[in-house]
Amino acid sequence: MQNYDLIVVGAGILGLATAYQARKAGAKVVVLDKGATAYEASSRATGYLSLRGETPEESPLAQMAEKLWDGLDEELGYPTEWTQRGRIWAAVNERELAELKELYQSFEKTDIAFEFVDGQALRKMIPSLTDSCLGGIHTPRSGHANPQRTSQAFAWAFTDLGGEIREYTPVLEVLATGGRVKGVKTPYGEIHAPRVALCAAAHNTLLLAPFGILFPLAPVRLEALVTTPMPPLFDQCFIGNGLSVRQTKRGNLHMNGGPYEWIDLEIDKESPKPTTPIVRNILRRAIETIPLLKGAQFLRSWAGIVDMAPDQMTTIHLFDNPEGLLTVAASGHGFGMAPAVGVAMADLALKGATSLPIEHLSLNRFRHITSDWREKRRWHAGQYNT
Amino acid sequence: MSPRTVVVLGASGVGCRFALAANAAGHRVTLVDEHPQALKDMSIDAPYFYGAGLPAALNNANAIAQSFLEANPELMECLESGIDVRLSTILWGAFRNGENSIHIGTPKAGLVSREGNELLDHDVLVIASGVRDFVPSFLGWELPGVFGAKAGLALLDYYGVFEGERVLILGTSDIALRLMRSLRSKQITVAGVVEPGSSIAAGPEAAAWIEGEGIPVHFGKVIASAKGKVAVEGARLVTLDGTGSEEIACDSIAVAVATLPNVELPAAMGCGMRFSTELASWVPEVSIQGETSVDDVFYLAPKADEAMIEAMLARISGAARAEWQPSSLTLADASSYIQQWIKSLHQTGGPDVIMCQCESVTRGEFCHLEPPKYLGQGMRTSQTPTNQTDNPHAPRLDQDLVKRMTRVGMGHCQGKRCRDEAAFTLVQRFGIDAEDIRPGSYRFPLRPVDLSLIADDDETDDIRLNWQMWPYETRNA
Ligand SMILES: Cc1cc2nc3c(=O)[nH]c(=O)nc-3n(C[C@H](O)[C@H](O)[C@H](O)COP(=O)(O)OP(=O)(O)OC[C@H]3O[C@@H](n4cnc5c(N)ncnc54)[C@H](O)[C@@H]3O)c2cc1C
Repeated sequence: MQNYDLIVVGAGILGLATAYQARKAGAKVVVLDKGATAYEASSRATGYLSLRGETPEESPLAQMAEKLWDGLDEELGYPTEWTQRGRIWAAVNERELAELKELYQSFEKTDIAFEFVDGQALRKMIPSLTDSCLGGIHTPRSGHANPQRTSQAFAWAFTDLGGEIREYTPVLEVLATGGRVKGVKTPYGEIHAPRVALCAAAHNTLLLAPFGILFPLAPVRLEALVTTPMPPLFDQCFIGNGLSVRQTKRGNLHMNGGPYEWIDLEIDKESPKPTTPIVRNILRRAIETIPLLKGAQFLRSWAGIVDMAPDQMTTIHLFDNPEGLLTVAASGHGFGMAPAVGVAMADLALKGATSLPIEHLSLNRFRHITSDWREKRRWHAGQYNT
Repeated sequence: MSPRTVVVLGASGVGCRFALAANAAGHRVTLVDEHPQALKDMSIDAPYFYGAGLPAALNNANAIAQSFLEANPELMECLESGIDVRLSTILWGAFRNGENSIHIGTPKAGLVSREGNELLDHDVLVIASGVRDFVPSFLGWELPGVFGAKAGLALLDYYGVFEGERVLILGTSDIALRLMRSLRSKQITVAGVVEPGSSIAAGPEAAAWIEGEGIPVHFGKVIASAKGKVAVEGARLVTLDGTGSEEIACDSIAVAVATLPNVELPAAMGCGMRFSTELASWVPEVSIQGETSVDDVFYLAPKADEAMIEAMLARISGAARAEWQPSSLTLADASSYIQQWIKSLHQTGGPDVIMCQCESVTRGEFCHLEPPKYLGQGMRTSQTPTNQTDNPHAPRLDQDLVKRMTRVGMGHCQGKRCRDEAAFTLVQRFGIDAEDIRPGSYRFPLRPVDLSLIADDDETDDIRLNWQMWPYETRNA
């Protein structure tokens, strides 16, 4: 009963997208999660696709993702709320404007249509934007979707094809013999398969450590919230004044931002993700950015955990030893990347290679990193806003 | 003993008694209660379900505040004894250092009132948040004139502004009896009582009182619909098999099936919770000293006695922490009464009744996990929310999933109206025990709050200048 072609560890959006593509290609796949489907970052994200002007090595993959996003509702058969209306990254003071202009040089290294526009142009796109907005980067393409709905769409599309998801089943250990992956160990027994895809966000680090592999990922807690619904204000992805703010199809303003708290994880435990009084500062900034929001009410807040690599890029890696093992993690922008990641990971798992542009994303780029990298970076547990 | 700073949430009888005792013992006490509420907050139906028919007299805030105090002698006593009493104040969140959040400093209670907001430093938090109305859906439950028993009692006894003249009561439990007694003491007509079972849930004594008052009892029936164009003019009752029906003339329909404890604060703070069948609710696990799994956070159940208050106070004043103990309260089984109502209402009313007023979602759409209508898109295959797992301790179903897919519980009322009916509907529909559901999560703020009131207006430079533009500023570090 337990002979699968592929075990996917983690039912977040990256694991589910991987599982869906592998199942679609005919593999027998089981997804295991220590909690419920998409209960971690994948349901807590803001929901943007970023075309990665700030990390040009990733932007070819992000562009692939965008193409897939455009057909995703139809592909999966469930609504994702995908809204392809561009992305605005605005500066609301001189300091931010200078920083953005500098960052824009990196954007220009891609072949994506980005443009630097002034405050007036941005206010034309978002009339409710504060007068103090001085300008910013406009990406005419890109868009946003509903994270929980999209993750669940992948989950249902996967199970519709006969895939299997087992929740509340933590993977304690990856099993290997003679240089080959054999399966995984859970508290309820072993499950066997010749291929294991680790899509467990920052838990990947813990699951790979027994093999002497260092996957440098630092978990960090971030806060988010929504307001009550407002009349339609804008439908682009908006970033500015230290916040990401998106208006949902229902009208709620969904936002995240603010200080980070670096934390540690345990392998089989759900990490607490408390909200802090910082939500008051997020709301203050929201009003500064879009003064009309004064008229809304604060409805709900939560926090989520992001898995950050030293260079803040996505990592996709197929190991030679143990053979059959592969892993992915996306440094806080895995939601937008997921449709493309799923294809690349399924290719790697089933064919050992992919034509997707991931050549700069392997773990090899960290081969000189030492195990104390988090301390050096001041990203170790307990650090706040570093 | 060194005096400690204690925040008590909830100026109910037991909250006030605890505050007085703690004050007398030398602790510095702040007592917080959201009542009397602003009209806008009352319209959200939390904690009491006022429905859409709020009496105009509630607009007179001063008169309302006055009659609220007069109706609460224990609260008056708190004021007179020098306790820092904060009325019309919402405790929207509480924060303390814990796993993955170690930069809070002294524990903080987030308070917000019409004047603005404040983070109150304290040592000890005592949650005496009382109960709220449980109001299941039926056709027309959004009409002005439909309200919950606690809301009715507040209008009658606290504010003295009740406008109904002929009240139909749904349910025969203790809370229904309290409401009827209050109505009758004010010479208001009780048009009848509706009970799906065959006896008065509050017992034979209550049955005798109802008979003595000459109040008609409709056994074996539930409400099919509230009638009326702009407000309640009557109600149609049906027998459980749907064959017989009758109309009752009334201008108010009081839903008095049950009350449920307000547990959003301990739940949102991450206190250990368990399902209590007697209370039909997830409640915090507490020690015999009333302490939750979070140090220095106490939960004072609505029916807590003097011994509990004493034990809690001893612990706060320095006694060693006691072991867990299961609740010793022996109460009627509220779960089966609530379930009987939901089952009868759903069986007679069918799947097309709106269950979530904020988001206009029907019972049927909820059970089928259908996406909201404004998306204009369906699902390729119909789905069920039950999960697959080998873990014997795992929840069988996650209410948050159903909530996020259907939006039942995600609206303006934060699920205060519908979350319990939603949970018990899942229990019935998918044949799962209530304790095997992972209940929908509670989040801060505990009530919807105006952005202009809650936004931080005295932001420190530390926060102001070190705010990270996630995540890019760190990329070259
Ligand atoms: C507040 C916030 C805002 C964000 N905004 C955006 C955005 O706008 N755009 C964007 O692209 N991204 C955004 N992100 C990041 C995005 O959410 C993540 O990159 C993405 O969800 C990662 O998906 P994942 O599947 O790798 O991780 P997760 O969703 O965290 O899933 C990992 C899963 O692995 C499971 N797991 C872990 N260990 C084990 C184990 N031992 N055994 C079994 N299962 C295990 C976990 O339970 C979890 O379900 C945001 C994140 C946060 C927190």
